[in-house]
Amino acid sequence: MDNRIDSQEKALALKCLEFAKAEGASAARVTLNKSVMDLVGTLNGEIDKVSHCLDRSISLSLFVSGRYGTYSTNNICEDSLKGFVAKAVKTTSIFAEDSCRRLPDPSRKAKDAGKGDELGLYDAEYEAVTPESRINRALKASIYNELKPVSEEAEYSDCLYDTLVVDTDGLECRHTETSFEYGVEMTVSDGNGNKFSSFWWDASTFLKDFNLKGCARKAYDDAVAQFGPKPAESGKYNAVILSKVASKVVSPVLNALGGYAIQQNNSFLLGRLGEKVFSEGLTIVDECRSAGFTGSRLFDSEGVATKVHSVIEKGTVKEYFINTYMSRKLGMEPTVEDITRARILPFPKPGMDHVDIMGLCGDGILITDFNGGNSNTATGDFSYGFSGFLFKDGKIVHPVREMVMTGNFISLWNNLIAAGEDARPCFSKLIPTLAFSNVDISA
Amino acid sequence: MIKSKEYYLNTFKVDEDLLYSLCAEALHDGGDFSDLYFENTGYYNLMLKDSEVSVGGFHIDYGVGIRVLSGEKTGYAYCETTERIAMTGAAKAAAAIAANAGPSDNCSPRYTRRYVGRPNPAADRYPIVNDWSNADLAAYVPYLEELDRKVRAKDPRVTNLIAGISGRVSDILMFNSLGELKYETRPTTNLTLSAIVRQGDRIERQNASRSFMMGAEMLTPELMDEMVAKVLDRVDERFEAKRPKGGEMNVVMGAGASGILLHEAMGHAFEADFNRKGQSIFSDKMGQRICSKGINIVDDGTIPFNRGSINFDDEGVPGQKTYMVEDGVLTSYLHDRISASYYGVTPTGNGRRESFRYMPIPRMRATYMDSGTAKADDIIASVKKGIYVDEFGNGEVQIGEGDFTFYVRSGYMIENGRLAAPVKDINIIGNGPQALADIEMVADDLKIDNGTWTCGKEQSIQVTCGIPTVLIKNLIVGGE
Repeated sequence: MDNRIDSQEKALALKCLEFAKAEGASAARVTLNKSVMDLVGTLNGEIDKVSHCLDRSISLSLFVSGRYGTYSTNNICEDSLKGFVAKAVKTTSIFAEDSCRRLPDPSRKAKDAGKGDELGLYDAEYEAVTPESRINRALKASIYNELKPVSEEAEYSDCLYDTLVVDTDGLECRHTETSFEYGVEMTVSDGNGNKFSSFWWDASTFLKDFNLKGCARKAYDDAVAQFGPKPAESGKYNAVILSKVASKVVSPVLNALGGYAIQQNNSFLLGRLGEKVFSEGLTIVDECRSAGFTGSRLFDSEGVATKVHSVIEKGTVKEYFINTYMSRKLGMEPTVEDITRARILPFPKPGMDHVDIMGLCGDGILITDFNGGNSNTATGDFSYGFSGFLFKDGKIVHPVREMVMTGNFISLWNNLIAAGEDARPCFSKLIPTLAFSNVDISA
Repeated sequence: MIKSKEYYLNTFKVDEDLLYSLCAEALHDGGDFSDLYFENTGYYNLMLKDSEVSVGGFHIDYGVGIRVLSGEKTGYAYCETTERIAMTGAAKAAAAIAANAGPSDNCSPRYTRRYVGRPNPAADRYPIVNDWSNADLAAYVPYLEELDRKVRAKDPRVTNLIAGISGRVSDILMFNSLGELKYETRPTTNLTLSAIVRQGDRIERQNASRSFMMGAEMLTPELMDEMVAKVLDRVDERFEAKRPKGGEMNVVMGAGASGILLHEAMGHAFEADFNRKGQSIFSDKMGQRICSKGINIVDDGTIPFNRGSINFDDEGVPGQKTYMVEDGVLTSYLHDRISASYYGVTPTGNGRRESFRYMPIPRMRATYMDSGTAKADDIIASVKKGIYVDEFGNGEVQIGEGDFTFYVRSGYMIENGRLAAPVKDINIIGNGPQALADIEMVADDLKIDNGTWTCGKEQSIQVTCGIPTVLIKNLIVGGE
C-alpha cells in the first residue's frame, strides 16, 4: 500500500480552501501532513515492543477581514471539515485586526516542488520493508549476548513523511521523505556499583546507506570510556565540543537571528545585522537545496522557496530570518522563515575531526555530552552542565563529569579556535566538532 | 469530570460489544492483556502580544490506541478514526507482539472479559464549571487585555509582553481485557506571561505561569493580580544580579519551584521502568536507607485540581498517593501495569501517556518532599557561605549515573547566614543519590508550585512539583 498523500486527500485539502472562501475568509493556507512509522524496540537482545503509527492531519491558517487564526484537526472527512472550517472562520473574527498578516508574495513562493520527490528524498525501497525484516534488523544489531552490559535498549524505526501545502493564491508545494533510524542506549557497570551510559545512532533517508552495525558497539565503548572519572580543577580551558553535541552552542545563535525574537526584543543579536559580531572563523551557510541529503527542503511552512545563502559570513551577521508577517511587522525585507540545513564551514583548515582539533589545542577539555543548563536569549549568557575528558598534548588523560561551562555566546564565538569537518550526514544540521579558548569551567 | 457512560460511547461511536471484540481481536495471537484508549481532545488558545489578542485558534485530536502485553513486551498501534475496520486493523498490528514474542514468562491462559458494570472511581478531582469545548473564546479576550494593561501600568519598563491562555478538554474512554471500563473528561487551563523588561541597555525576560485541571473558571481576577505580581517579582534584583564565582558550596533550595530538582534528580530514578531495566541508580536499593531519617518523598495523584492529578491513570488504575521514600528508606518505585507485574506489586497509578499515540509508561504526577521540622530562616542562618535558589529554570539528569544539572533563574548569595547579592544564570550540578544523602535540614514550609510544568521523558506529560526549604551541602555551582 502506498502511504503517500493520495488524490482524494489532496482534493480534501483544496476543498478546505473552498470552504474557507465560501465562509468569508479573504485567504487561507492548508497544510496536509501524512506519515506512517513502524518501530521495533529491543531490550537486552529481545523484542520489547513493536508499534505501528499512521497519522494524518490538516492545519489551516485563516485570514479573515485582516484577522488571523490557526487551526488543526485529524478528523479528515468532507462533512467534518466543512463544519470545522466554518467554526474556524467564525472564531478568527474575534481576534484583533493585524494588517501585517497575509499570504506571501507569489513571486517568493516555491515553483519547483509540485511533486514532492524533486529533492530525491523518497526511497522506493521503503515500500518493500516488511514487519519481519524490521524485526530481523533490530535483533541482528544487538550485541547484548556478546558483551552482557547492564542494559542494552534499542529502537529501529522507519518512516514516510508526506507534506502538501496549498493556498488560495494557487500555491501547491509538496515534500516527501523517507527515513530509517536506529538508536541504542548502553548502560554498563564498572564493577564498583557505578553505572555509566551512552547513546549512539544512525539514520538515513535511504535503506542502502543505513548502517546499524557498529552502533551498539560504539555506544558500549563510549560508556566504558567513562569509567574512573576524576575531578578537574575549575578554571579557564580550551573546550573542544564533539560534533554530536555541538548544536548546543550553535542553535542559540540561530534562534537569536529569528524574526520573532528580534521583534520581541528577545535576542542578543538585536540591532547587529551587518555587524561583525563573531570570530572571523565563523561562517554558517544554509545548504537547503542539496538533493539527496537529509534535511534539505525546497520550501518553508509558508510555501516560500528556500535559498542557499550565508547567514553568518566570517563573523558578520548577514541575515535575520524574516517571514512574511515579520517583514511587515518590522518593516524589513522578507528572507526565509528559518534556516533549513545549517552548515558551519571548516576553520582554520578543512578536513579536521576532534582528534586533529585536540592536537591543535594541545591541552583542554573534550565535551562529549551536555547535561542540562540553559541560556538567556535576551543576553546570550549561558551555563551548561557537561561530561567529557581532560586532554593534554592532544591526548585523552581521564574522564571528567559533574562540570559546568559558563559564558556568553558572543564572547564564546569570538574565541573560536577551530571548526572541524566531521559532521555526520545523518544530521539535518551539519555542525562539526568545535573548539573555543578561555572557556570558564567549574568543577 | 465524569459524564454518563453513554456520552463517551457516543463520542467514540462504539458500544460495549465492539469494545469487547476489539480486545479479543488484540489477543487473538496470544498475549496476557489488551486495552483500548480512546481520546477526543480539543485545544483552545488565545495569545496577546503587542497589547492585542491577534492570534489564536483551536485544534482537534481524535483517535484510539490499542495495546497488547505479552509478559513485559508491548505491541501498540493506533488509528485516528473509530471505524470498526480501522480499529480492527490496529488491533491486529498490536497483536504482532504476541505472535513474535513467543510465550511470556508468566503466561497464563487469558481471555477477554465483558464489562460487568463495575463502578467508575468515585473520586472526581477535577469537576468542570466552564468547559472550553463550549466556551466562547471571545469572552476571554478582555482578560488578556486587562492583564496587559495591569503589567504595563505597574512597570513602564516592560517593552514587550506576551500573554497566553490555553485550554484543553479530553474525553477519555478505556476498556481492557479484564473487563474494566473507565471514562472521564480531563480539563486543563494554562495562563502564561512573558515580559521583556528594559533598563538602559540591559534587557531581562521575566516569566510566570499557572496551570490547573480546571475549565475556564480558573481565570479569576485574583489569579490575574497574582500573575501581575509574579511576572514583575524582584525584577530590579534581576538587573543587579551577577554570576558568582563558581565552586563547591552549600545550597539552600527555596520552597516551591525548587521541587523540580526532586522531580528530575530523584523522581525519574524512582520510575520502575528504569529500575526494571537496571538503568536507574536506585535499581538495587529497594528497602535501603538512601537519605536521612525523617525525609519522605511522595508522588501524589490525588490533589484536587492539581495539574498532575488523576482520577485514574491511562491504564485505568485509580489515582493514589505513593510514598517512594519513607523516613529516609526507599519503599516503592512508581509503577505501570508492566513493572508492577514484573515486581509482583500493585500498580501505583503512574501508567501515563501523552495521548492515544503513545503507549503508557511509568510517569510522575505531583512529586514533592513532605515538610520537615526546621524553620526556613534558621536554615539560611546556618549557612556561612552558599547559594539560595529562589527559582530553577530547568534541569536534566542522567538516569544511570545520577548526575544532574539545574539552571538557576534567580537566587541569592548567602553570606554569614544572610541573603546577600542576587545571582542568576548559573548552574548547580551534583549527583542525585549523593545530594539526597547530603540533605541536612528540611523546613516546615512545603509548597507545591502550580506552574505549567511538563515532563519530557519520551512523551510530554503535565506534572507538578514541590519542596519545602532544604539545605544540601557541597553542590557544585557553575560561575565565572
